[in-house]
Amino acid sequence: MFKAILYTQWKWSRVVVALSVVIAFALPIMSVQRAGITEPSRWEVRELLRTIEMWSVWYAVFAAGLGLLIATTAWAQDHRGRHVYALSLPIPRWQYAMLRFAAGSLLLAAPVVALWIGALLATAMAQIPPGLNAYPNALALRFALAAFLAYSIFFAISAGTTRTAAYVLAVIGALVVTQVMLQASGMYGGLVEALFDRVITWPGPLEIFTGRWMLIDV
Amino acid sequence: MSNVIETRNLRYRAGRNFEIRELSLNVPAGSIYGFLGPNGSGKTTTIALLMGQLRASQGSIKVLGQSMPEAAPRILARTGFVPERPHLYPTLTVEEVLRYHASFYQSWDWRRADELFGRFELDRSLKIAALSKGETGKLMMLLALAQNPDLLVLDEPTDGLDPVVRRAMIIAVLDYVSQRDAAVFISSHLVHELERICDWVGVMDNGKLVTEMPMQTFKSGIKRLRVTGAPALVEDPPFVLLSRDTGETLGAGEVWVVRGWQTPMQQYFEGIGASLREVVDLDLEEGFVELLRTFRTPRAQG
Repeated sequence: MFKAILYTQWKWSRVVVALSVVIAFALPIMSVQRAGITEPSRWEVRELLRTIEMWSVWYAVFAAGLGLLIATTAWAQDHRGRHVYALSLPIPRWQYAMLRFAAGSLLLAAPVVALWIGALLATAMAQIPPGLNAYPNALALRFALAAFLAYSIFFAISAGTTRTAAYVLAVIGALVVTQVMLQASGMYGGLVEALFDRVITWPGPLEIFTGRWMLIDV
Repeated sequence: MSNVIETRNLRYRAGRNFEIRELSLNVPAGSIYGFLGPNGSGKTTTIALLMGQLRASQGSIKVLGQSMPEAAPRILARTGFVPERPHLYPTLTVEEVLRYHASFYQSWDWRRADELFGRFELDRSLKIAALSKGETGKLMMLLALAQNPDLLVLDEPTDGLDPVVRRAMIIAVLDYVSQRDAAVFISSHLVHELERICDWVGVMDNGKLVTEMPMQTFKSGIKRLRVTGAPALVEDPPFVLLSRDTGETLGAGEVWVVRGWQTPMQQYFEGIGASLREVVDLDLEEGFVELLRTFRTPRAQG
């Protein structure tokens, strides 16, 4: 049963998976292009770290996008058929959702492994200046966790009905409206920023996206 | 187990203007039950309730002796379902759909699936999106039958199909039933089609079950009578007077449509000073139309 579900999900998201494997493999290699400096000046080391840091944003964006695409393709065909087929299968709904979730999680492994290999290759080929270290394993692990987190969130949202999505949007909209009203009345106006900070900084659940994604660091 | 489907006082509201009300169905084991009703009468909603896809706000449903939706997976494992609108994944090929579907059913019969493939002349390599309406219908039927179900629930399975495909599908169902002694619950508004194959009939209209009875009783009990000289007001007839067309022309008489007719009832007309000129059997479609007409309007009894 799982094999059959995995096959369907692979078929629906294989283009996304194939493209993401290429991107995941290429991203670390492209980010360390400037790392071949054998006797770097202090300025050049700082420039190198700055470049690596600039590239690091893309890992987070890539992980979030990958999670989103794999999650939406997992449910797209069922949504299209208004879930009639899935509901007519002799399997509890929660089990069906878990199998789809597991299949999508497994598909995430391909870009994660590609990124890990790419990071290992990139750091092995580069001559890293003294005082700096390579973190291919940590980067791959962070990427895996971020992609899995994004996938889980978007999978949960996609699994729901249009009404669920409307509720999520309504909550976000209510927050924004409250913020605007508080600001207009001259009261505390940093509600959304404060909440956002809580979510994306440690120990917030999305901190993984905003932390350091450095392949090469001090 | 005497009934494969049993509902009691089902209620379900779909939107503001439509409601299933007090629906009590009884589908006997081993029967082919025709579920008739005009478009929008609630047939598909009822089937969605029976299949656990909708939850009734009131009442109970038992399918194959188990409660729906509590025992949905166990019931669905023994039920072949062909929905009104095909819902298969359009990007998969026929072969892929078959393998996917088979993986969910322990009772899946590949031999039967292969045999039906040959009979329905389906191309395994075609994508679902590329199938014609008839091919999709045949594939849906194949999937339902190859599960080896104890119950087949077919929601307008032949609607919009050409006669050749319709015939092939009906024959496949009848062959299956003769081999497995399975029960069939088939909804349709194609009355003639059901007339030939069903032994029970239930009629829905506007969310309510109008009647439910053996097909033979339904067909034989409804007659068209030609009557002359009947008074304007008739009291306590021994049958149910469904309609009375009083447009008498050139002595041809009135046309009465009655239910529950038996030959000895002829004497009733002598008693009211009328004369019975002709008794005509109605086919299922005519009976169905008359039944709905009387259900929707007050009875024509004087």
